[in-house]
Amino acid sequence: MMVTGVKITLLLLLVTSITSLCLGTVIAIMRMSRTRALRFFGRLYVEIFRNIPGLFWLLFFYFVFPELLPYGLGDKLNAYDNYPIVAAIMGLTVDNASYVSDILRSGRLAIPDSQREVAISTGLNRVQQYLYVLLPQMFRAILPPLGTRMVHNFKNTSLCMAITVPELTWATQQIESLTFRGLEATAIATVFYIALSLSMVAVIILLEKYYKIDISSMTQAKGR
Amino acid sequence: MHFFEQYGNLKFYLLGAFPVGDLGGLVLNIILAILSLSLSFFIGVLLGYSRLSRRKYVKIPCILYVDTIRSTPLILILFWLYFFLPYILGTDVSLFWTAVAALAVYSSAYQAEIVKAGILAIPKGQLEAALTSGLGRYQAMGFVILPQAFRMMVPSYVSFFISLFKETSIVYVIGVVELVHTGVIVSQRQPDSIYAAYLCMAIGFWVISYSMSHVARVLEQRMGSLDYESFRPDVSRDEFMLLPQDKSSSGDSS
Repeated sequence: MMVTGVKITLLLLLVTSITSLCLGTVIAIMRMSRTRALRFFGRLYVEIFRNIPGLFWLLFFYFVFPELLPYGLGDKLNAYDNYPIVAAIMGLTVDNASYVSDILRSGRLAIPDSQREVAISTGLNRVQQYLYVLLPQMFRAILPPLGTRMVHNFKNTSLCMAITVPELTWATQQIESLTFRGLEATAIATVFYIALSLSMVAVIILLEKYYKIDISSMTQAKGR
Repeated sequence: MHFFEQYGNLKFYLLGAFPVGDLGGLVLNIILAILSLSLSFFIGVLLGYSRLSRRKYVKIPCILYVDTIRSTPLILILFWLYFFLPYILGTDVSLFWTAVAALAVYSSAYQAEIVKAGILAIPKGQLEAALTSGLGRYQAMGFVILPQAFRMMVPSYVSFFISLFKETSIVYVIGVVELVHTGVIVSQRQPDSIYAAYLCMAIGFWVISYSMSHVARVLEQRMGSLDYESFRPDVSRDEFMLLPQDKSSSGDSS
């Protein structure tokens, strides 16, 4: 039970990290676009999802989302065995993506505008500007807050026990109610969470060492 | 419209079963957040200050505590206290106080980080000036550094309060009847209006944290940063320091 719990926690961590990074990037680019409607929807997304707790979104995707879908589709989803995991992934993703997009936006503001101007003058179109010039620098500039957010996201996977995803915290409670050995199980789970989040922090510090860019040096004119 | 029919449940969302039963609903979320934040305030300040201590036997336990709590999910802290508080205290602890204790433990670690960042943000010259004017180390901390640090910390405190307010929804797991739980109860009682119940929950959380984040933005503009450039008495330094003038080196003092 614990081993499946660990597996599912790791699965949730991996999948939601990737999906929320992608969604967050899309939202961040929407918020910085020139089109007014896109900016509005990006802002709306962030304001809605940031101000409502993650647990709500988990419960929402588990209980309400299938009801909102057209009739047959919702029933199919409810009948699907692994639907709790799918709902957990969706809930964690939308919650985390709002924070990621906010962090990315602050990263964009940290990069001097001359970078974009240079990208334009080399003849890149808007997609290429983001893909080859801005996004790589943005990600490198925001590594520390992004890492903190990812650790937070990892801790949030424990909330999924509320919607009966068989992840680690759920396993400890199950062991407690079946065998009354909850103490040992909870201790192991705590050690696991601490170890994994500390090692995530260590990886982030390493990445930061290799990839951090000195933004202040980019603004200075080199040579006259 | 199921949503407007929810008006009949308004009191249940806001107060829970208050006059007859325990307090609940949105008010309970706010109370939990405020109570746990204020209970752990002094512990947080103490921890944050001790983390910067030079004595290893003070510093290392604090770092261990803060890092352990910060890397444990709140839900596990909640379960630890849920199982252990009755065992340690020897009496039954109500769910409300278990939740308050867990949130207080959780927020003390985060407050320690905020306090640490606030103290580190104060320029070293302030401490040196305080020590030079004859204050002791603790007096300098209490009268000079901490008041300025608190001012710097206000915006991050408000944003931490918002995130703590959202985290209070987690106590749903041990069965405290706060806003999420009231919504779930309503949605189970009236299964056909399930989305209306969730909409009410969402509005409750959204209104409070959106207005608080607005407050945070205003506070950040007003007091987030102190203007240290204007504090520095550059002008009067050379004239009033009655030091023996050295002709050879006076040229490069500016």
